Amino acid sequence: MDIKYGLSATFNSAKDLYDAAGKIRSEGYTNWECYTPIPVHGLDAQMGVGRSKVPLFTLAGGITGFFTGMLIVWYMNSFDYPLIVGGKPYFSPIYPFPVFYELTILFAAFGTLFGMFFLNGLPRHNHPVFEHPNFGRTGDDRYLVVIEVEDPKFDDEETKSFLKELGGKSLTMIREPVMN
Amino acid sequence: MNSEEVLSVTGKYDLSTKLLAGSILGLGVGSIGLITGLAIGDKSPFLGWLWGCSFWLSIAIGMLMLIMIFRIFNSRWTPVVRRQLEHCLASFPWLGLCFLPLLLIAWFGGDQSGILWSWINAQNETFDPIKQITVGEDVLYQKKSGYLNLYFFSLRMILYFGIFCGLSHWLRKVSFSQDLDGNPEWTRKGLKVSAIGIPAAALALTFGAFDLFMSLEYQWFSTMYGVWFFSSAIRASLAVTILICIYMSAEGRLKGLYKQAHQYDLGCLSLAFTVFWAYISFSQYFLIYSANIPEETFWYTIREIDPNTGNLSGWFWVSMGLIFGHFFFPFLFLLSYHRKVNRSQIVFIACWILAFHALDLYWNIIPGREIIPGAKVGYETRSVLGSHLFWGVFSFLGVGCLSVWAVIRSFQSKAAEIVPIRDPRILDSIHHHE
Repeated sequence: MDIKYGLSATFNSAKDLYDAAGKIRSEGYTNWECYTPIPVHGLDAQMGVGRSKVPLFTLAGGITGFFTGMLIVWYMNSFDYPLIVGGKPYFSPIYPFPVFYELTILFAAFGTLFGMFFLNGLPRHNHPVFEHPNFGRTGDDRYLVVIEVEDPKFDDEETKSFLKELGGKSLTMIREPVMN
Repeated sequence: MNSEEVLSVTGKYDLSTKLLAGSILGLGVGSIGLITGLAIGDKSPFLGWLWGCSFWLSIAIGMLMLIMIFRIFNSRWTPVVRRQLEHCLASFPWLGLCFLPLLLIAWFGGDQSGILWSWINAQNETFDPIKQITVGEDVLYQKKSGYLNLYFFSLRMILYFGIFCGLSHWLRKVSFSQDLDGNPEWTRKGLKVSAIGIPAAALALTFGAFDLFMSLEYQWFSTMYGVWFFSSAIRASLAVTILICIYMSAEGRLKGLYKQAHQYDLGCLSLAFTVFWAYISFSQYFLIYSANIPEETFWYTIREIDPNTGNLSGWFWVSMGLIFGHFFFPFLFLLSYHRKVNRSQIVFIACWILAFHALDLYWNIIPGREIIPGAKVGYETRSVLGSHLFWGVFSFLGVGCLSVWAVIRSFQSKAAEIVPIRDPRILDSIHHHE
């Protein structure tokens, strides 16, 4: 048994894909993706994809790290076991500052890495688009557009004729196998 | 509208004349300050003069370093920006001229020769916790006298400005000549000049910071001081670069050439050097705080408390202002992508950084120990506001007008195109994208 994942169309050049992406966007589709063999500059903006949300995770990680560092130093050196080292106060933002900023950097790096994983839905071992019989050619010379059936505007017939109108070739309905 | 019309202000006099008049006025009042200072033995006008000159010098030094760094990395996005910096290097000889009075007074000032840098006159009183002594009797001076003596000091000053002016001359020549004949050999020459120039200018600015600022309190030690000056200079010069590029882009000459991608990269560099400045400034404080040696800690103590009463002084608030206004605010502000590419926001933060850079130099130059025999600890600290600020503002504006005048003269001179049109990387730079 299988379920429909999305309708795909191929394009022969980056320019064709770029123009088609603009039209798909203005048509109002939201759940769709481009697969290209090379990076196409400006495609993100053309598709209407905003900037990545990863920096927010980085910032959250950094702030968490800073206060974790403070908490560690305050708890160990001032609360749990007050100890005078080198005539410095039990707790001060100055002498343990390296601890604060090292943890800021560490947690910001964690935030970046795991935020990226989270936003990309990683790790995952397979993707329905791999079921496309010629998906390998998007790593070589074909530009692929896939409009998912999840998209609120998706309609079997209308989307098909729309993609054909844009100049898309070899229209294929990608089907995702489902285990019973 | 051509460039002359844009640069000239409508009215009877053009901008260059007004700037020259401003510099004569500012430096004239500053000089009156120096003369009165000499007559009554007041150090304040000299500190003000040093502060005014150093602000503009630091911007020029930062630009010199940036150009050489761009060249040594063969960077492809920079030629459009680099040409604007090359024009700014025209201010170096004039800045050298502004420092000349300080050197002349050191040589010919007689009893007052050590009025700014007290170690120049061995008869000056100096601070000692136990007894009243002169500079010549101070062991901290005696040990440093091989370096801190007037002959070597003057030689170094000439060397510093020789290096700065020489490198500026060569970098401008290499770049402007390429506009005429398009020979790629000039790019290779630029690379060679930068390879020699980076260590030379780095040494000059490091020891320059030691001589000009650190030797105001010759007892003090800090090996990080040169790096602090470097990071400050780069921050200030990046801010001025952003302002110039945005102005020229808005006014038309760089329209379409100075792109959002350039803006973003300059914004990223500003953020990076904001962090670097904080890292260096904090590290200097941190090492001195941890080691806790009186010869070093006094420098920070007089920037925090009034030593005679133990209360927080005005300098404490300036210090806090630097931590929050010169680091935390620009850091958090520049983190966002959108604020780095939004022109009005980046102009705001560039002006903010310049203002705090001026405050940072003020904080480094002005506070100092004035020997007052009756005082509880033997000295008093100069206050935040005072005649040094009054005289400083005039010197600051005077030197500023002179530098801007020299830069505008270079822009108008027709010696070079708006961008280096025959640079091998100019197309990469014009088509730069994120």
